[in-house]
Amino acid sequence: MDATSAPHRIPAEMPQYGEANHIFELMQSMLEQLLIHQPQDPIPFMIEHLHRDNDHVPKIIILGPPASGKTTIAMWLCKHLNTNLLTRGTLLGKEFSSVAEEARKQYQRFKKVPDSLLIQLVQERLMEEDCVRRGWILDGIPQTREQVLMMQTLGLAPRHVIVLNAPDSVLIERNLGKRIDPVTREIYHTTFDWPREAEVQNRLLEPEGISEVETARKLLEYHRSIIRILPSYPRILKAISADQPCVDVFYQALTYVQTSHRSNAPFTPRVLLCGPMGSGKSLQAALLAQKYGLVNICCGQLLREAVEDQSKLSELIQSFFDKEMTVPDDIILKVLKGRLDRPDCVHKGWVLHGFPRDLDQAHMLASMGYSPNRVFFLNVPLDSILERLTLRRVDPVTGERRSPGVFPSPHF
Amino acid sequence: MEAVESRELQARNYLEKHRIMELLNHLTSVLLFIRPPKPREYLISLLERLRLAKATGIRFPFFMNNSNIVAMFDMMDPSGKGTISFAQYKEALKNLDLCTADEVLNDDGHIITLDKFRDEVVNTSKGMDAPNSYHTPYCTSTRLTTLSAQSASTTET
Repeated sequence: MDATSAPHRIPAEMPQYGEANHIFELMQSMLEQLLIHQPQDPIPFMIEHLHRDNDHVPKIIILGPPASGKTTIAMWLCKHLNTNLLTRGTLLGKEFSSVAEEARKQYQRFKKVPDSLLIQLVQERLMEEDCVRRGWILDGIPQTREQVLMMQTLGLAPRHVIVLNAPDSVLIERNLGKRIDPVTREIYHTTFDWPREAEVQNRLLEPEGISEVETARKLLEYHRSIIRILPSYPRILKAISADQPCVDVFYQALTYVQTSHRSNAPFTPRVLLCGPMGSGKSLQAALLAQKYGLVNICCGQLLREAVEDQSKLSELIQSFFDKEMTVPDDIILKVLKGRLDRPDCVHKGWVLHGFPRDLDQAHMLASMGYSPNRVFFLNVPLDSILERLTLRRVDPVTGERRSPGVFPSPHF
Repeated sequence: MEAVESRELQARNYLEKHRIMELLNHLTSVLLFIRPPKPREYLISLLERLRLAKATGIRFPFFMNNSNIVAMFDMMDPSGKGTISFAQYKEALKNLDLCTADEVLNDDGHIITLDKFRDEVVNTSKGMDAPNSYHTPYCTSTRLTTLSAQSASTTET
């Protein structure tokens, strides 16, 4: 029989190492970069990519209607994550750039910057050293679908996109109170975000274009374009309501940005369910095993099966059962090892409950190489447990346990 | 739509031309086999070695060491006669990517023993065309990792 067609016994250290070091994500990001840039010489390119080590650097786009607080949130996120902020203003105001010069001229003449120039500016800025090293946050760009497409063709892709939403009436009203500090360029609000220092208060200016009519017009334009932009970022988009205090919006945005998306890495779940008696471990384990195709291992059940097996261990275990003593750890571990080493457990993953019950058992489990990668503690207050256990009934037909009150039972 | 399709085609051609997927498979296999504590640095060193190999034409060493050759021979020779047939030998070389499917190897009528097999594998791999030959290890490396893993586990049990 050809060796390559027989099922392979892959040593368990390999997938564990892969999971622990995120090898899949590493290779995936390298492949992404290779495909975007398609260098003639892939190996030096890959070496440079690995040296840069910027897979986890923030790459964020913040979109939203006027007066939603985009710039404020962008600035706060920027300070918190220590990254670079890119706005139309900063891009246009760039010195020593011919593209920026061109863009400024166009803006002066037509009051509008053509999409291609804007995106070229973005590309130029993103290729600079500090953006490569520390990441970037784009505030309010892209504004139209054409800009999105241009960015995609150039290979500038964000990892998180945040869209702020709020009802129009709130926005129009809010915009009336907008004030800008000409020195720091920070945005304040007469009602919601008033600066504490008197000197800042004195120098605040009203920006132009905040009348109701103006805001309504800008909102109309925004709604028209945003509906065409959102489908371009299907899996990385998050909508946050801007109709709440800034701090809340900020914390929501921050938590989102710091979570990484679900990866495609191969993953065998090794789940551990802990909790007191009566917390529903067996039930949850059965449901999990059914839903994800895992092997359900209940320690007590395993021992009872081992007794039935008529092996050398079974008499030993039986003797402990008869004396009503707890089976010693090493015997449990032997039985467990036998079960966990079987190919179905290795390939499909497992849900374990009823073991370990104390720290020593946990250490022994870890030392044998079976560390779980998801652990759940089912927390139930003492009274509920007492209630559930005292009212527990066993259905004689199916052998299921039900606690009436928790689970209304049809049979009895 | 054509633009999208042509970009996709372009990307696929790029992957094929530079054999990127084989390279990445090889790198992942090495990482999982060696399990270095610092994967990034190890990857960088691997790639540097590859770059050197490509530039100077020296053959990049790959997994096939003596124990693997012996293991492979044993798998083909379950009864332990000490010899394998010519068809098996050719199949093995094909699996190792050391010869193409259409290449005709002279069947000199003698049966192949372990020593002969070992020598042939080593010599054929040495004799491969040097500058482009950094391609070959990738295709074989995944099979070799599993082979090595299997031989490791069979020697343990």
